[in-house]
Amino acid sequence: MNLIPSFANPLAWGLLGLIPVGIVLLYFLKLKRESVEVPSTYLWSKTIEDLHVNSLLQRLRRNLLLLLQLLAVAVAIIALLRPGMQGETTGQGRTVFLLDTSASMQAIDDGETVNRFEKSKQLILAHIDSMSDTDAAMLITFSDRPETVQSFTTDRARLRNSLKRIEVTNHTTDILGALKAADGLANPRRSSDIADVNDIQVADARPADLLIYSDGGFQTVTEFSLGNLKPEFISMGSPIVNNLAITAFSTERNTEQPTEVQAFATISNFGSQDVATTATLSMNGEFMDAEAIEIEAGDQTGLSFTIETDEAASLSITLDHKDDLEIDNTAYTGLSPLRNVTVLVVTAGNTPLSVGLQTEKTTKICSPTFVTPSYLQTDEYALRASSGSDDLIIYDGCAPTVMPATNTFFIAALPPAPSSTLREIAPADASVEPVTEKESATTPTSPAIDGGNDIRGWKWSTEESSVNLVDIERMHPLMRYLELFSLLIFSGRGIEGPPGTVELVGADIGSVLSIAPRDGFQDLVLGFDIISWDEEGNPQTNTNWYAERSWPVFLFNVLRHLAGAANASGAPSYRPGETVRLRLENSVNAPQVSCNDGPPKTVTPSPSGVIEIVDTEIPGNYLIENNSQLTDRFAVNLFSSRESSIAAVKEIDIGYESVTSTTGGVDQRIEYWRWALITMLGLIAAEWWVYSRRVA
Amino acid sequence: MKTTRTDQLLSPALLAKLERMELVSRKVFRGRMKGERKSKRKGQSVEFHDFRHYAPGDDLRLIDWNLYARLDQLFLKLFQEEEDLHFYAMIDASESMNFGNPTKLQVAKQLAAALGYVGLCRADRVSVQALGPPGRHAPVLRGRASLWKMLNYLDEIDSGHNVSLYDGVKDFSNRNSGTGVAVLISDLMDKNGYETALRMLIGRQMDVFVMHVLSPEEIDPPLRGDRRLIDIEDGDAAEVTINTYVLQKYQETVKSFIGSVKTFCAKRSIVYLPVRTETPVETIVTKYLRERGVVR
Repeated sequence: MNLIPSFANPLAWGLLGLIPVGIVLLYFLKLKRESVEVPSTYLWSKTIEDLHVNSLLQRLRRNLLLLLQLLAVAVAIIALLRPGMQGETTGQGRTVFLLDTSASMQAIDDGETVNRFEKSKQLILAHIDSMSDTDAAMLITFSDRPETVQSFTTDRARLRNSLKRIEVTNHTTDILGALKAADGLANPRRSSDIADVNDIQVADARPADLLIYSDGGFQTVTEFSLGNLKPEFISMGSPIVNNLAITAFSTERNTEQPTEVQAFATISNFGSQDVATTATLSMNGEFMDAEAIEIEAGDQTGLSFTIETDEAASLSITLDHKDDLEIDNTAYTGLSPLRNVTVLVVTAGNTPLSVGLQTEKTTKICSPTFVTPSYLQTDEYALRASSGSDDLIIYDGCAPTVMPATNTFFIAALPPAPSSTLREIAPADASVEPVTEKESATTPTSPAIDGGNDIRGWKWSTEESSVNLVDIERMHPLMRYLELFSLLIFSGRGIEGPPGTVELVGADIGSVLSIAPRDGFQDLVLGFDIISWDEEGNPQTNTNWYAERSWPVFLFNVLRHLAGAANASGAPSYRPGETVRLRLENSVNAPQVSCNDGPPKTVTPSPSGVIEIVDTEIPGNYLIENNSQLTDRFAVNLFSSRESSIAAVKEIDIGYESVTSTTGGVDQRIEYWRWALITMLGLIAAEWWVYSRRVA
Repeated sequence: MKTTRTDQLLSPALLAKLERMELVSRKVFRGRMKGERKSKRKGQSVEFHDFRHYAPGDDLRLIDWNLYARLDQLFLKLFQEEEDLHFYAMIDASESMNFGNPTKLQVAKQLAAALGYVGLCRADRVSVQALGPPGRHAPVLRGRASLWKMLNYLDEIDSGHNVSLYDGVKDFSNRNSGTGVAVLISDLMDKNGYETALRMLIGRQMDVFVMHVLSPEEIDPPLRGDRRLIDIEDGDAAEVTINTYVLQKYQETVKSFIGSVKTFCAKRSIVYLPVRTETPVETIVTKYLRERGVVR
């Protein structure tokens, strides 16, 4: 609310003019005179008689108190008129301030003491100060999202307060949303089709000046028309800059040697000069390695580090180079820990399998659930399979009608065809009854031996026969540390998978262990039973694998690499401000999120185990822990070439219009009202002093 | 309220000094009794005056026989007669005199007492009186022993007799038919004017002295700002805004007033004596009055 009346109003002028008149009248009409007894008024009367000749003028001319009072009021009136020089007046009377709050605005240019953002705020503040009482302004900030900080108002105090509240972010830049927000009143939309002659606009257009304070580090806006907005681009920053940035940083475990971790970084020189510096790699805050780099202006280079660790680790790389923008000089990534995976085992009874999944080592990363094949018919299974709540489902001698949304391991069974008209797949052993009676009756043996209806799906390539292993794909993570040639396999069938299938174990009858991708998941199929059943339903050993050392090792590999207990790649990286969604294990109830060893915050996961982390403003390594045990992790990095490219542009394109940068210096209005007020206070003090001296 | 005390009017030291002084009269008046002053009359004193031819009936004791022996003619040897002098001191006892520290009335009483004592010591007829309401009697004193009577009378003089100077002097003239030295001690702040009163004294063939008593507060008033000035004699009020300019004008008015009185007196052979109340009475009497020929 503006309490000071507008002086365009003649009434205000009249009231102001009455003040000095009132003072003079009060001065002459004031009745309070101190009575003093004198021996005689004889001489005083003679004196006054002389004065009465021109008493009014004498009083006005000689009375210092009155003069001082009148002068003080005059100065106060002048102060109210807000005198100033070189005031800038906007043509429209309405101004929209668009302030870039993206990460690049944190840059401190050479020769400056404050960053671009603070400088922009100063310029906007100067502009607000130069506004007249009738000027309205609006304040919008933009980074990767727009925010209307202050809608149109003529209250300069509110604009100043709103401006004060704005803070720079670490986000990327997208100006389109801010332009649309500014567009609303200037270019009101029609209620219907523009071609309709009977249609009128929903509101009168309110033209406005659009002042964009930015370094221009955003995409060219094409799908926007300025209309009644009169743009002015105030380019913040210098075209000659000094900035070295890390634009990518990731880690990956060597698939062949899981303890070996490779870290890759991309360093770009966005500055105007060649730079030679060093990059320092730290792990868990401790120095690990450093490498010298030399990058020419505008060029980029890659760095790779190799470190040995099989634990979860927080990695960061820092450029030992002082430049204009700090935020992109450090990048973070992390190595995920071994996950605790959930495995559903559908089996009619498989002791080697259950023993192999519950060894001392596997229980640390796996919590298996054993069900019988009849469980596949239940709604609970359908929900479980479709939600993908299990990391791996092992179908031992049975198969589902629809493939679950997770990785699978089929033992002596084939995954169903991926077509919509799926057929039930009978188990290899007819004695097991996971399938429908109808299908079981009609297809007692393998239905897919001829390839089935879908040539893209899995199928048996041979009839059952003895198996002699021929080849093993030792390079595959699943087959690591395995020695299988001593296996005895009494009965098995060759398998063929869909395109993309990788043969892991080859035998004389073809592939007996293959893995194939499926919509982001992987299906592993074993062509022979571990346990077979005789005609009387008694279990028989089909292979001696369970007695071999390689059996638990194989199952461990399956858990690690197929169930996803070990992520080969590093933690994912997100941009600052992005909402991070993570799916945690079901057993995690109250995970705590911490960033760069900061205080942890507890978040509540949704019923499906998904947590959303929104407080990701600060770049760094974010750890999600449950009972002090690392559950998951991710990193937040700028990694934006556009933000790191901080050289200020001189021209931006908005729609079909090119806006050239102005000097940015607002022709600041020099205010004198403060001086007038100070003078008035001085006059009042002088008047009081004179008065005190007289009555003392 | 009595504002004076006997012992405050004249200090013993001042009394001692006053005893050696003498009132000076610029005119020779006829006295009423034998005194120490030369008279217009010829009489019996040691002061030789003239010779004249003898005429029958003259006192044979006055014939200068030595001259008769030389010239063989009878001559009478005449001597100056010595008579007393009338000394009148008139004190303005109006309310305006009760102002200042000490008050103007107090200073006036001291001056009157001092001059009166000088007269008493010289065997003059001394009459000290306040210009008061008609009918108020003041004693005529003679001889040093009458000092206490005079002081007692002065003690009883109180301010508040707001008669005009003219009325006061007129009353005085009616009461005292003799001539002599008349001293008027006043501030002359009479809105009807002081001139007629002085003219009346001159008309009575008096040797007139005017002692104009003013306090420093009247000459340079310590007043500033918006004031309502009340005349303590007649309650007349004057609203005035006192600033430097007005003060300057006031002081000019005071100077002009004093100057006009001085001119008026000089034209009429009246001795004018400005007296400021802050000046000690001893200094006034022993220095100023002696310089101006009032005493010697």
